[in-house]
Amino acid sequence: MIRLNGIHKSYKTHLGTRAVLRGIDATFQLGEKIGILGRNGAGKTTLLRLIAGVEYPNSGSIERRMTVSWPLGFAGAMHYSISGADNARFIARIYEKPIEETVGFVEDFAELGEYYRLPVRTYSSGMIMRLGFALSLAVDFECYLVDEVIAVGDTRFGERCRKALADRQARSTLLLVSHIPDTVRAFCTSAAVLNDGRLTRYDDLDEAIAVYQAA
Amino acid sequence: MSGTFRHPVLPHGLRKPEGIGTAFRRQMRVVGALTLRELGTRFGRDNLGYLWLFLEPAMLGGAIGLLHHIAQQGLPGGLNPLEFWVIGYIPFYMLRGIINRAPVAIQANQSLLYHRHITLLDILISRSLLEGAAVLGALVVFLALFGLVFGHWPADPFKMLAGMVLMFLFSHGVAVLIAAGAVYTEIFERVVHLVTYLTLPITGAFFMVFWLPYEAQQAALWVPTVHMFELIRDGHFGKAVPTQYDIGYVVGWIAALNLLGMAALRHARRDLVL
Repeated sequence: MIRLNGIHKSYKTHLGTRAVLRGIDATFQLGEKIGILGRNGAGKTTLLRLIAGVEYPNSGSIERRMTVSWPLGFAGAMHYSISGADNARFIARIYEKPIEETVGFVEDFAELGEYYRLPVRTYSSGMIMRLGFALSLAVDFECYLVDEVIAVGDTRFGERCRKALADRQARSTLLLVSHIPDTVRAFCTSAAVLNDGRLTRYDDLDEAIAVYQAA
Repeated sequence: MSGTFRHPVLPHGLRKPEGIGTAFRRQMRVVGALTLRELGTRFGRDNLGYLWLFLEPAMLGGAIGLLHHIAQQGLPGGLNPLEFWVIGYIPFYMLRGIINRAPVAIQANQSLLYHRHITLLDILISRSLLEGAAVLGALVVFLALFGLVFGHWPADPFKMLAGMVLMFLFSHGVAVLIAAGAVYTEIFERVVHLVTYLTLPITGAFFMVFWLPYEAQQAALWVPTVHMFELIRDGHFGKAVPTQYDIGYVVGWIAALNLLGMAALRHARRDLVL
């Protein structure tokens, strides 16, 4: 379970303080597959970062009773000047995973070919995304935070990601943020809408999408 | 209140609050992994690779020592100029290296913070350790050379080591404060090289307290690094020259810098935008 209590987050900009999240309360249970719909700039990525613990809220608290991945997106979590294989070794060390098995698993799943032994900065964005996802699967989290990348990436890999997550059905939670209803429909069983700094949960996927499209 | 995190630190599978022993072991593991990664990113795997870590301070220290050796300036107390300059320059190289690299430490490692249980302090500790280990390695090689070539071995290696450890902790404390400040302003990045350059003459790297007139001695002893350089020289030259230092004074500085630094870092982490 992950519980958010009264989360507020604002950023200081040259134009003054801009509030992004204005009081978010939510609970996500183990095994749920939740899509969070929001327009560009609604604060989807910010919300994911706070849940991941990458950034901190200005006020409110986050309770994590399962292991939570880093936000899976185009950037972050890996180091660009070392190779994909070295990144896998590093992840294995800090998450206490067997090193050689992790390196092998990531190599198989990410399908980077010879690039696996080259610095990450030489990768295409699709390759970086594949590496990031493979690394997080190797750690085997209970909750995966996904920043709509899977849908943007090539479809074959997207299908494998979906299968990998589906295989963990009961024991893994998915929080996917997206501005595209179809993406949410493909991966999730329920949804929430992030609008004007607040999050509203809907048990029914279609209802959430209808509300989102009407907004 | 500003965010209570019941599990701010949560590696895989861990859910219960843990004892301080477990937390310490995990931090050591994270710092170990970070140090290895830092080695990889700084020196890569090509050419001489990791050897540069040690060669850089060795070459600089050796070159400066050699220049003064050739210039044949006599030093008060009849000290060997090569030894004096190397023994002064190498600890200073560590001080400067750790501090100069501090303003970009967080920025350069932001991607690591995607892993919730890696702290800013872990990042800074691993960077400092790497720098410290390299410089210590270079120092040991020079001491062995001095022993073999001049037949002069350190009078008290333990004192030298203690001086280096204190210098390391002091540099690290300053670096932590600067790294935290750099989250808020670019000014540190702009001025840190200038300041380490300008303060070089007063650090005590290249003078001894007994060379100075009495009033200047009293002034110099306010500077914490002066004590550490004196301790290191006491360890190397022993009774050949008089040295003055107060370890308690240095420890006080180290404790204050590190505690303030860690508090500042904790504050900065909350305001950090990745």
